[in-house]
Amino acid sequence: MDGPVIEVRDVHTRFGREAVHRGVSFHVGRGELVALIGGSGTGKSVMLREMIGLLRPSAGTLRVLGTDVWNCTPAQLRSLRRRIGVMFQDGALFSSLDVAHNVAVPLFENTRLPPELVWPLVELRIALAGLPPEAGGKMPSELSGGMRKRAAIARALALEPEILFLDEPGSGLDPVTARAFDQLMRFLASDLGITVFLVTHDLDTLLGVADRVIVLSQGRVLADGPVASVIGTDDPWVRAYFGARTTIAAEASHGA
Amino acid sequence: MAAPPLSAAPERWVSLETTAQGDVLRLAGHWRLSSLASIEAGLSELPAVRPLAGVDGAALASLDTAGALTLLRHLRRRGLDPAGVDYGSFADEHRRVVAVTLKRLPPAEARAPRRARNALTALGAWASELSVLLAGHLGFLGAVAAGLGASLLSPRRLRLRELAAQFRHTTLTALPVVSLVTFLIGVVFAYLLGQQAQRYGAGIFVVDGVALGMAREFSPIIVAVIVAGRSGAAFTAQLGTMRLTEETDAIRVLGLSPMDVLVLPRVLALVAGLPLLVFAGNVMGNLGAMAMTATNLGIPPPVYVERLHIALAPRHFIVGLVKAPVFALFIAVIGIRMGMSVPRDTRAIGISTTSTVVQGIVCVILLDAFFAVLFQELDI
Repeated sequence: MDGPVIEVRDVHTRFGREAVHRGVSFHVGRGELVALIGGSGTGKSVMLREMIGLLRPSAGTLRVLGTDVWNCTPAQLRSLRRRIGVMFQDGALFSSLDVAHNVAVPLFENTRLPPELVWPLVELRIALAGLPPEAGGKMPSELSGGMRKRAAIARALALEPEILFLDEPGSGLDPVTARAFDQLMRFLASDLGITVFLVTHDLDTLLGVADRVIVLSQGRVLADGPVASVIGTDDPWVRAYFGARTTIAAEASHGA
Repeated sequence: MAAPPLSAAPERWVSLETTAQGDVLRLAGHWRLSSLASIEAGLSELPAVRPLAGVDGAALASLDTAGALTLLRHLRRRGLDPAGVDYGSFADEHRRVVAVTLKRLPPAEARAPRRARNALTALGAWASELSVLLAGHLGFLGAVAAGLGASLLSPRRLRLRELAAQFRHTTLTALPVVSLVTFLIGVVFAYLLGQQAQRYGAGIFVVDGVALGMAREFSPIIVAVIVAGRSGAAFTAQLGTMRLTEETDAIRVLGLSPMDVLVLPRVLALVAGLPLLVFAGNVMGNLGAMAMTATNLGIPPPVYVERLHIALAPRHFIVGLVKAPVFALFIAVIGIRMGMSVPRDTRAIGISTTSTVVQGIVCVILLDAFFAVLFQELDI
């Protein structure tokens, strides 16, 4: 159980003539909170979709919890999917169901628990995701962007996943809400021992809570390590990316 | 007392150990979501004779939040405050899971079942929703009339290109389906009338029946129902999507009027197009009937046409064509307003579109009944 829970080896992805990944490899260990970053169009979300079995890479292997995602039987893929949770960018909640029923869907579909066991579990998931209990009765359309994302996390947590994948958790959130969201992810990784893998643009998320950062650039892994070591990478994009923050910080302290 | 044989029977999740203070719950095995039902069964089988004094989790192999929730709920059921229990015997990681769960433990009272509406409340709610909807439609009809008036005063506000595009979508592309359906209605109608008329040797009067029936009722109604399903639904879906993507807001902010850009071209296209479709329906219905009478009743097409001249006075024909623009106006107003008032929610477009079709068809039938009474009183 101590090997990596996610193992990406030499993945190539091409869309027509355009090569998105040209040999991407990395691992993620159990309980880590890892962020995948990169400029627009570097294939971060594509990588995420390949890891959860939605998009087939052109070549290479992706192992998640020991299962080769693109070379396994449908039954294996199904059982893998029961062990992972995914939060899509805008939540992807089922709009015809209220939050509680959204969270209950995986429990009713994948377990044989009777309703009297499912509903307390649903309430616990909603609380774990940091939502107030009354949010359970709301429809997705009645929620703000941040609450929708939390509800999506509650649904992703329903089956006690070993890995949680998040696509752009901070996008569309105000900075305060986004920081609270960072704390939620940190809590999931530290206190529940869930491996958290996220794709993000948000610098504060990286600096605040990520154990490790993987930088994708030009189809390859440009840097991989703790934030402090990645910042030092001698690459124009990485410098510009982290530079944006130091500039703002410098101007703020200058002005003060 | 000997240690309970937990390792021997790992499916026994829990056992009770009697101590001086009371029973102690001894947990064992993997308290995970996958085994929750049998854990719960194991807990409920425990005798509850003596008060519970504590929990011993030293033998737990694993624990997740679902397992912890089940444990804490059981403690509470047995009259113990879960927060006051000592979890010292648990392994560190298990204790952390218990602490996390404890902090977010749902309140003890059971989830309140959703209050079912009784029939009377539901009827009241439905009636008030309907009246709000109808009032809204009426208001929008007024706004459309005002918009039409304004564009009559300054015809440059009329967007001819948009009008032409809408005319193409609502009328020209509807021709094939309208033709096919009315042709077949003509066939069936002539067959049905022929069956009866033939018995009295009055086969030629089938022409009267079909010509009057098609011109006054069948063609307008059937064409309007088709258009309500086709264009009414399309208006709602198009405008609803535009509202969701904030395109309608963009139109407003760019200084354009949604009334000029979106509403009037659709209304005018449909009002102009529906009479034409009804005319096409008349022609096709009579052609269908002609095909049937020629083969079944021995009335050759020239005789049919000759009889048609006698049977079909222009007023019957005009009655049908007069109804069509009114139907069109209502279909367009319903479709457009339902689209422009879609709540910002992906599910709503589907619901609104369905509602548009139902409202459109019901409205057409109601208007037709109204016209029937009106024409009867006017003796047309």
